[in-house]
Amino acid sequence: MLGEFEYLLLTAAARLGEQAYGAAMRQEIEEATGRDCSIGALYTTLDRLEAKGFVKTWMGDPTPQRGGRPKRMVRVTAKGTQAASEFYSAVTRVSRGVSWA
Amino acid sequence: MGMNRTCWWLVDVVSRMLEPGERDIVLGDFAESGESRGRALCDILGLVVRRQAALWKDWRPWLVLAGLIVPLGMLLSIVARLTAGQTATYTWLYANNWDWALLRYAGFWYEFAGSAALVFVSCLTLVCWSWTAGFVLGSLSRSIVRLYGLLFCLMLVLGGLLGAPLYVGFLVEHIHRPSSPDEQDPVFGLMFYRVMFPLIVQAVLVAAPSLWGIRQGAEARGFPRSRRIVLWTVAVGALTVMLIREPGLVFILNVHWLYRFWQSWHMRLLQPVVYWPVGYFVANAIRQRWHGKTAS
Repeated sequence: MLGEFEYLLLTAAARLGEQAYGAAMRQEIEEATGRDCSIGALYTTLDRLEAKGFVKTWMGDPTPQRGGRPKRMVRVTAKGTQAASEFYSAVTRVSRGVSWA
Repeated sequence: MGMNRTCWWLVDVVSRMLEPGERDIVLGDFAESGESRGRALCDILGLVVRRQAALWKDWRPWLVLAGLIVPLGMLLSIVARLTAGQTATYTWLYANNWDWALLRYAGFWYEFAGSAALVFVSCLTLVCWSWTAGFVLGSLSRSIVRLYGLLFCLMLVLGGLLGAPLYVGFLVEHIHRPSSPDEQDPVFGLMFYRVMFPLIVQAVLVAAPSLWGIRQGAEARGFPRSRRIVLWTVAVGALTVMLIREPGLVFILNVHWLYRFWQSWHMRLLQPVVYWPVGYFVANAIRQRWHGKTAS
Protein backbone atom coordinates (compact mmCIF):
# COMPACT_ATOMS: atom_id res chain seq x y z
CA MET A 1 0.00 0.00 0.00
CA LEU A 2 1.28 3.43 -0.96
CA GLY A 3 1.68 6.32 1.42
CA GLU A 4 -0.17 9.59 0.83
CA PHE A 5 2.91 11.46 -0.42
CA GLU A 6 3.94 8.54 -2.62
CA TYR A 7 0.50 8.65 -4.21
CA LEU A 8 0.80 12.41 -4.77
CA LEU A 9 4.15 11.91 -6.52
CA LEU A 10 2.86 9.10 -8.73
CA THR A 11 -0.18 11.17 -9.68
CA ALA A 12 1.92 14.25 -10.45
CA ALA A 13 4.30 12.15 -12.59
CA ALA A 14 1.39 10.52 -14.43
CA ARG A 15 -0.26 13.89 -15.08
CA LEU A 16 2.96 15.47 -16.40
CA GLY A 17 3.75 12.48 -18.62
CA GLU A 18 6.85 13.12 -20.73
CA GLN A 19 7.49 16.37 -18.84
CA ALA A 20 7.69 14.73 -15.41
CA TYR A 21 10.83 15.73 -13.53
CA GLY A 22 11.70 16.91 -10.02
CA ALA A 23 11.00 20.65 -10.20
CA ALA A 24 7.83 20.27 -12.33
CA MET A 25 6.40 17.58 -10.03
CA ARG A 26 7.14 19.73 -7.02
CA GLN A 27 5.26 22.66 -8.55
CA GLU A 28 2.37 20.39 -9.49
CA ILE A 29 2.06 19.05 -5.95
CA GLU A 30 2.32 22.51 -4.34
CA GLU A 31 -0.39 23.87 -6.63
CA ALA A 32 -2.69 20.91 -6.03
CA THR A 33 -2.31 20.69 -2.26
CA GLY A 34 -1.55 24.32 -1.41
CA ARG A 35 1.30 23.08 0.80
CA ASP A 36 5.07 23.34 0.53
CA CYS A 37 6.81 20.30 -0.88
CA SER A 38 10.41 20.05 0.28
CA ILE A 39 13.17 18.89 -2.05
CA GLY A 40 14.27 16.41 0.61
CA ALA A 41 10.86 14.76 0.81
CA LEU A 42 10.54 14.77 -2.99
CA TYR A 43 13.83 13.09 -3.84
CA THR A 44 13.96 10.62 -0.95
CA THR A 45 10.40 9.51 -1.76
CA LEU A 46 11.28 9.23 -5.44
CA ASP A 47 14.20 6.97 -4.45
CA ARG A 48 11.84 4.81 -2.41
CA LEU A 49 9.34 4.58 -5.27
CA GLU A 50 12.13 3.65 -7.65
CA ALA A 51 13.41 0.98 -5.26
CA LYS A 52 9.89 -0.48 -5.15
CA GLY A 53 9.79 -0.47 -8.95
CA PHE A 54 6.91 2.05 -9.13
CA VAL A 55 8.84 4.65 -11.13
CA LYS A 56 11.88 4.78 -13.36
CA THR A 57 14.14 7.82 -13.22
CA TRP A 58 17.02 8.99 -15.37
CA MET A 59 19.10 12.10 -16.00
CA GLY A 60 17.57 14.44 -18.56
CA ASP A 61 19.37 16.91 -20.75
CA PRO A 62 20.79 20.10 -19.23
CA THR A 63 18.95 23.31 -20.14
CA PRO A 64 20.10 26.97 -20.04
CA GLN A 65 17.06 27.77 -17.87
CA ARG A 66 18.58 25.49 -15.21
CA GLY A 67 22.06 26.96 -15.50
CA GLY A 68 23.19 24.08 -17.71
CA ARG A 69 22.24 21.49 -15.10
CA PRO A 70 20.33 18.28 -15.84
CA LYS A 71 16.84 17.25 -14.69
CA ARG A 72 15.85 14.03 -12.96
CA MET A 73 13.21 12.71 -15.33
CA VAL A 74 10.50 10.38 -13.98
CA ARG A 75 8.22 7.81 -15.60
CA VAL A 76 5.56 5.77 -13.81
CA THR A 77 5.93 2.03 -14.47
CA ALA A 78 3.08 -0.44 -14.94
CA LYS A 79 3.62 -1.61 -11.36
CA GLY A 80 3.40 2.01 -10.18
CA THR A 81 0.19 2.58 -12.13
CA GLN A 82 -1.34 -0.50 -10.52
CA ALA A 83 -0.27 0.59 -7.03
CA ALA A 84 -1.70 4.10 -7.55
CA SER A 85 -4.92 2.64 -8.92
CA GLU A 86 -5.26 0.35 -5.88
CA PHE A 87 -4.62 3.26 -3.52
CA TYR A 88 -7.22 5.39 -5.31
CA SER A 89 -9.80 2.57 -5.20
CA ALA A 90 -9.15 2.05 -1.49
CA VAL A 91 -9.59 5.77 -0.76
CA THR A 92 -12.76 5.87 -2.86
CA ARG A 93 -14.18 2.77 -1.12
CA VAL A 94 -13.36 3.95 2.36
CA SER A 95 -14.84 7.37 1.60
CA ARG A 96 -18.15 5.97 0.36
CA GLY A 97 -21.08 7.33 2.33
CA VAL A 98 -18.92 9.86 4.15
CA SER A 99 -19.49 13.53 3.53
CA TRP A 100 -16.74 15.91 4.58
CA ALA A 101 -18.47 19.02 3.33
CA MET B 1 23.35 41.69 -0.94
CA GLY B 2 25.96 40.30 1.44
CA MET B 3 23.33 38.18 3.19
CA ASN B 4 22.08 36.92 -0.16
CA ARG B 5 25.57 35.94 -1.24
CA THR B 6 26.33 34.27 2.09
CA CYS B 7 23.12 32.26 1.88
CA TRP B 8 23.86 31.00 -1.63
CA TRP B 9 27.45 30.27 -0.60
CA LEU B 10 26.06 28.17 2.26
CA VAL B 11 23.71 26.38 -0.16
CA ASP B 12 26.73 25.60 -2.34
CA VAL B 13 28.81 24.37 0.61
CA VAL B 14 26.03 22.19 2.06
CA SER B 15 25.15 20.79 -1.38
CA ARG B 16 28.69 19.37 -1.64
CA MET B 17 27.61 16.71 0.86
CA LEU B 18 25.33 15.27 -1.84
CA GLU B 19 26.38 12.93 -4.60
CA PRO B 20 27.66 15.03 -7.56
CA GLY B 21 24.77 13.95 -9.83
CA GLU B 22 22.08 14.74 -7.28
CA ARG B 23 23.77 18.05 -6.41
CA ASP B 24 23.54 19.14 -10.04
CA ILE B 25 19.89 18.17 -10.26
CA VAL B 26 18.92 20.01 -7.08
CA LEU B 27 20.85 23.18 -7.94
CA GLY B 28 19.24 23.05 -11.38
CA ASP B 29 15.80 22.81 -9.73
CA PHE B 30 16.59 25.88 -7.62
CA ALA B 31 17.71 27.84 -10.69
CA GLU B 32 14.62 26.84 -12.67
CA SER B 33 12.06 27.57 -9.96
CA GLY B 34 13.76 30.81 -8.86
CA GLU B 35 13.91 29.54 -5.29
CA SER B 36 14.34 32.14 -2.54
CA ARG B 37 17.66 31.94 -0.67
CA GLY B 38 16.05 31.02 2.66
CA ARG B 39 13.93 28.26 1.23
CA ALA B 40 16.82 26.93 -0.86
CA LEU B 41 19.00 26.69 2.25
CA CYS B 42 16.25 24.93 4.26
CA ASP B 43 15.56 22.57 1.36
CA ILE B 44 19.18 21.61 0.79
CA LEU B 45 19.75 21.12 4.53
CA GLY B 46 16.66 18.93 4.70
CA LEU B 47 17.83 16.78 1.81
CA VAL B 48 21.39 16.44 3.16
CA VAL B 49 20.10 15.46 6.62
CA ARG B 50 17.77 12.86 5.11
CA ARG B 51 20.54 11.45 2.90
CA GLN B 52 23.08 11.30 5.73
CA ALA B 53 20.52 9.82 8.13
CA ALA B 54 19.68 7.13 5.57
CA LEU B 55 23.35 6.10 5.44
CA TRP B 56 23.29 5.39 9.18
CA LYS B 57 20.64 2.70 8.72
CA ASP B 58 23.53 0.53 7.56
CA TRP B 59 25.85 -1.08 10.15
CA ARG B 60 29.10 0.06 8.49
CA PRO B 61 29.11 3.75 9.52
CA TRP B 62 28.47 2.63 13.12
CA LEU B 63 31.44 0.27 12.88
CA VAL B 64 33.63 3.10 11.52
CA LEU B 65 32.43 5.40 14.32
CA ALA B 66 33.05 2.88 17.10
CA GLY B 67 36.11 1.20 15.60
CA LEU B 68 37.99 4.13 14.05
CA ILE B 69 36.66 7.62 14.74
CA VAL B 70 36.28 7.35 18.53
CA PRO B 71 39.48 5.38 19.34
CA LEU B 72 41.68 7.21 16.82
CA GLY B 73 40.33 10.62 17.85
CA MET B 74 40.94 9.84 21.50
CA LEU B 75 44.38 8.29 20.98
CA LEU B 76 45.56 11.14 18.75
CA SER B 77 44.35 13.61 21.39
CA ILE B 78 46.41 11.79 24.02
CA VAL B 79 49.50 11.68 21.79
CA ALA B 80 48.98 15.38 20.97
CA ARG B 81 48.80 16.19 24.68
CA LEU B 82 52.03 14.29 25.39
CA THR B 83 53.78 15.82 22.37
CA ALA B 84 52.60 19.26 23.50
CA GLY B 85 54.01 18.57 26.94
CA GLN B 86 57.41 17.67 25.53
CA THR B 87 57.44 20.47 22.96
CA ALA B 88 56.29 23.04 25.53
CA THR B 89 59.35 22.37 27.68
CA TYR B 90 61.74 23.06 24.82
CA THR B 91 59.72 26.03 23.56
CA TRP B 92 59.71 27.55 27.05
CA LEU B 93 63.42 26.83 27.41
CA TYR B 94 64.30 28.87 24.33
CA ALA B 95 61.44 31.36 23.94
CA ASN B 96 60.99 32.41 27.57
CA ASN B 97 64.68 32.40 28.46
CA TRP B 98 66.13 33.83 25.31
CA ASP B 99 69.45 35.61 25.42
CA TRP B 100 71.16 36.76 22.22
CA ALA B 101 74.53 36.20 23.84
CA LEU B 102 73.85 32.45 23.73
CA LEU B 103 74.36 32.48 19.97
CA ARG B 104 78.08 32.95 20.49
CA TYR B 105 78.50 29.61 22.27
CA ALA B 106 79.12 26.43 20.32
CA GLY B 107 77.59 24.45 23.19
CA PHE B 108 74.30 26.30 22.74
CA TRP B 109 74.11 25.37 19.06
CA TYR B 110 74.88 21.75 19.90
CA GLU B 111 72.07 21.64 22.48
CA PHE B 112 69.72 23.60 20.23
CA ALA B 113 70.26 21.22 17.31
CA GLY B 114 69.56 18.23 19.57
CA SER B 115 66.35 19.76 20.98
CA ALA B 116 65.13 20.93 17.58
CA ALA B 117 65.68 17.45 16.12
CA LEU B 118 63.78 15.86 19.00
CA VAL B 119 60.86 18.27 18.70
CA PHE B 120 60.83 17.95 14.91
CA VAL B 121 60.70 14.14 15.03
CA SER B 122 57.90 14.03 17.63
CA CYS B 123 55.88 16.65 15.70
CA LEU B 124 56.47 14.86 12.39
CA THR B 125 55.39 11.57 13.96
CA LEU B 126 52.16 13.16 15.22
CA VAL B 127 51.47 14.79 11.85
CA CYS B 128 52.08 11.48 10.04
CA TRP B 129 49.75 9.55 12.37
CA SER B 130 47.05 12.21 12.05
CA TRP B 131 47.35 12.29 8.27
CA THR B 132 47.24 8.48 8.17
CA ALA B 133 44.09 8.38 10.33
CA GLY B 134 42.46 10.90 7.99
CA PHE B 135 43.62 8.97 4.93
CA VAL B 136 42.02 5.75 6.20
CA LEU B 137 38.75 7.54 7.01
CA GLY B 138 38.71 9.36 3.67
CA SER B 139 39.24 6.20 1.67
CA LEU B 140 36.25 4.40 3.21
CA SER B 141 33.14 5.90 1.64
CA ARG B 142 32.61 8.83 -0.68
CA SER B 143 29.02 9.60 0.27
CA ILE B 144 29.67 9.89 4.00
CA VAL B 145 33.24 11.22 4.00
CA ARG B 146 32.35 14.79 5.02
CA LEU B 147 30.31 13.56 7.94
CA TYR B 148 33.20 11.31 9.00
CA GLY B 149 35.44 14.39 8.88
CA LEU B 150 33.00 16.38 10.99
CA LEU B 151 32.62 13.58 13.54
CA PHE B 152 36.37 13.10 13.69
CA CYS B 153 36.87 16.82 14.38
CA LEU B 154 34.20 16.69 17.09
CA MET B 155 35.99 13.71 18.59
CA LEU B 156 39.27 15.65 18.54
CA VAL B 157 37.62 18.58 20.31
CA LEU B 158 36.14 16.21 22.89
CA GLY B 159 39.45 14.39 23.25
CA GLY B 160 41.47 17.59 23.43
CA LEU B 161 39.27 19.27 26.04
CA LEU B 162 38.18 16.32 28.17
CA GLY B 163 39.56 12.89 27.30
CA ALA B 164 43.26 13.64 26.94
CA PRO B 165 43.64 15.83 30.07
CA LEU B 166 41.90 13.15 32.15
CA TYR B 167 44.00 10.37 30.66
CA VAL B 168 47.26 12.27 31.00
CA GLY B 169 46.27 12.99 34.61
CA PHE B 170 45.88 9.25 35.09
CA LEU B 171 49.32 8.65 33.54
CA VAL B 172 50.94 11.24 35.79
CA GLU B 173 49.36 9.63 38.83
CA HIS B 174 50.20 6.03 37.98
CA ILE B 175 53.20 6.18 35.66
CA HIS B 176 56.00 8.68 35.80
CA ARG B 177 55.93 10.78 32.63
CA PRO B 178 58.36 13.69 32.86
CA SER B 179 56.86 15.39 29.82
CA SER B 180 53.35 15.49 31.27
CA PRO B 181 51.91 18.84 32.36
CA ASP B 182 52.37 19.64 36.04
CA GLU B 183 51.11 22.94 37.46
CA GLN B 184 54.00 23.07 39.89
CA ASP B 185 56.83 23.30 37.40
CA PRO B 186 57.93 26.57 35.75
CA VAL B 187 56.70 25.59 32.27
CA PHE B 188 53.20 24.38 33.05
CA GLY B 189 52.74 26.93 35.75
CA LEU B 190 52.18 29.29 32.82
CA MET B 191 48.62 29.14 31.55
CA PHE B 192 49.75 29.42 27.93
CA TYR B 193 51.78 26.19 28.07
CA ARG B 194 49.30 24.35 30.26
CA VAL B 195 46.05 25.25 28.46
CA MET B 196 46.60 27.01 25.14
CA PHE B 197 49.65 25.20 23.82
CA PRO B 198 48.08 21.67 23.83
CA LEU B 199 45.07 23.05 21.95
CA ILE B 200 47.32 24.73 19.37
CA VAL B 201 49.23 21.46 18.92
CA GLN B 202 45.92 19.60 18.61
CA ALA B 203 44.66 22.03 15.93
CA VAL B 204 47.88 22.37 13.92
CA LEU B 205 49.44 18.92 14.22
CA VAL B 206 46.31 16.76 14.47
CA ALA B 207 43.14 18.38 13.11
CA ALA B 208 44.68 20.06 10.04
CA PRO B 209 46.71 16.99 8.88
CA SER B 210 43.72 14.70 9.54
CA LEU B 211 41.44 16.80 7.33
CA TRP B 212 44.16 16.90 4.70
CA GLY B 213 44.50 13.11 4.98
CA ILE B 214 40.73 12.68 4.57
CA ARG B 215 40.92 14.68 1.35
CA GLN B 216 43.87 12.65 0.06
CA GLY B 217 42.18 9.39 1.08
CA ALA B 218 39.06 10.38 -0.84
CA GLU B 219 41.18 11.07 -3.93
CA ALA B 220 43.01 7.76 -3.51
CA ARG B 221 39.72 5.90 -4.04
CA GLY B 222 40.28 6.43 -7.74
CA PHE B 223 43.59 4.51 -7.67
CA PRO B 224 43.89 0.98 -9.08
CA ARG B 225 42.86 -1.73 -6.61
CA SER B 226 46.39 -3.12 -6.12
CA ARG B 227 47.76 0.32 -5.21
CA ARG B 228 44.87 0.95 -2.82
CA ILE B 229 45.57 -2.36 -1.06
CA VAL B 230 49.25 -1.46 -0.62
CA LEU B 231 48.40 2.02 0.71
CA TRP B 232 45.80 0.64 3.08
CA THR B 233 48.16 -2.03 4.41
CA VAL B 234 50.87 0.55 5.10
CA ALA B 235 48.36 2.96 6.68
CA VAL B 236 46.92 0.29 8.96
CA GLY B 237 50.50 -0.73 9.85
CA ALA B 238 51.35 2.86 10.82
CA LEU B 239 48.23 3.14 12.98
CA THR B 240 49.05 -0.19 14.63
CA VAL B 241 52.47 1.19 15.53
CA MET B 242 50.73 4.13 17.21
CA LEU B 243 48.43 1.79 19.14
CA ILE B 244 51.38 -0.21 20.44
CA ARG B 245 53.90 2.57 20.95
CA GLU B 246 51.78 5.22 22.61
CA PRO B 247 50.38 4.90 26.12
CA GLY B 248 46.77 4.32 25.14
CA LEU B 249 45.77 0.75 24.38
CA VAL B 250 48.72 -0.74 26.26
CA PHE B 251 47.67 0.77 29.60
CA ILE B 252 43.93 0.52 29.09
CA LEU B 253 44.10 -3.20 28.31
CA ASN B 254 47.04 -3.73 30.65
CA VAL B 255 49.03 -5.50 27.93
CA HIS B 256 52.53 -4.27 28.80
CA TRP B 257 54.09 -7.28 27.06
CA LEU B 258 52.96 -5.67 23.80
CA TYR B 259 55.06 -2.58 24.58
CA ARG B 260 58.10 -4.68 25.56
CA PHE B 261 57.66 -6.72 22.38
CA TRP B 262 57.65 -3.48 20.43
CA GLN B 263 60.86 -2.35 22.11
CA SER B 264 62.75 -5.40 20.78
CA TRP B 265 65.33 -4.37 18.16
CA HIS B 266 63.88 -6.33 15.23
CA MET B 267 60.47 -4.73 15.75
CA ARG B 268 62.12 -1.32 15.82
CA LEU B 269 63.07 -1.88 12.21
CA LEU B 270 59.37 -1.54 11.39
CA GLN B 271 59.06 1.87 13.01
CA PRO B 272 59.91 3.91 9.86
CA VAL B 273 56.53 2.80 8.47
CA VAL B 274 55.07 5.63 10.59
CA TYR B 275 56.61 8.15 8.19
CA TRP B 276 55.05 6.62 5.09
CA PRO B 277 53.09 9.82 4.26
CA VAL B 278 56.43 11.51 3.53
CA GLY B 279 57.27 8.73 1.06
CA TYR B 280 53.76 8.99 -0.39
CA PHE B 281 54.16 12.70 -1.10
CA VAL B 282 57.67 12.31 -2.51
CA ALA B 283 56.45 9.52 -4.82
CA ASN B 284 53.44 11.64 -5.88
CA ALA B 285 55.66 14.65 -6.59
CA ILE B 286 58.04 12.52 -8.69
CA ARG B 287 55.12 10.96 -10.56
CA GLN B 288 53.57 14.36 -11.30
CA ARG B 289 56.90 15.75 -12.45
CA TRP B 290 57.42 12.73 -14.67
CA HIS B 291 53.90 13.05 -16.17
CA GLY B 292 54.50 16.77 -16.68
CA LYS B 293 57.70 16.07 -18.58
CA THR B 294 56.19 13.35 -20.77
CA ALA B 295 53.12 15.54 -21.49
CA SER B 296 55.24 18.49 -22.56
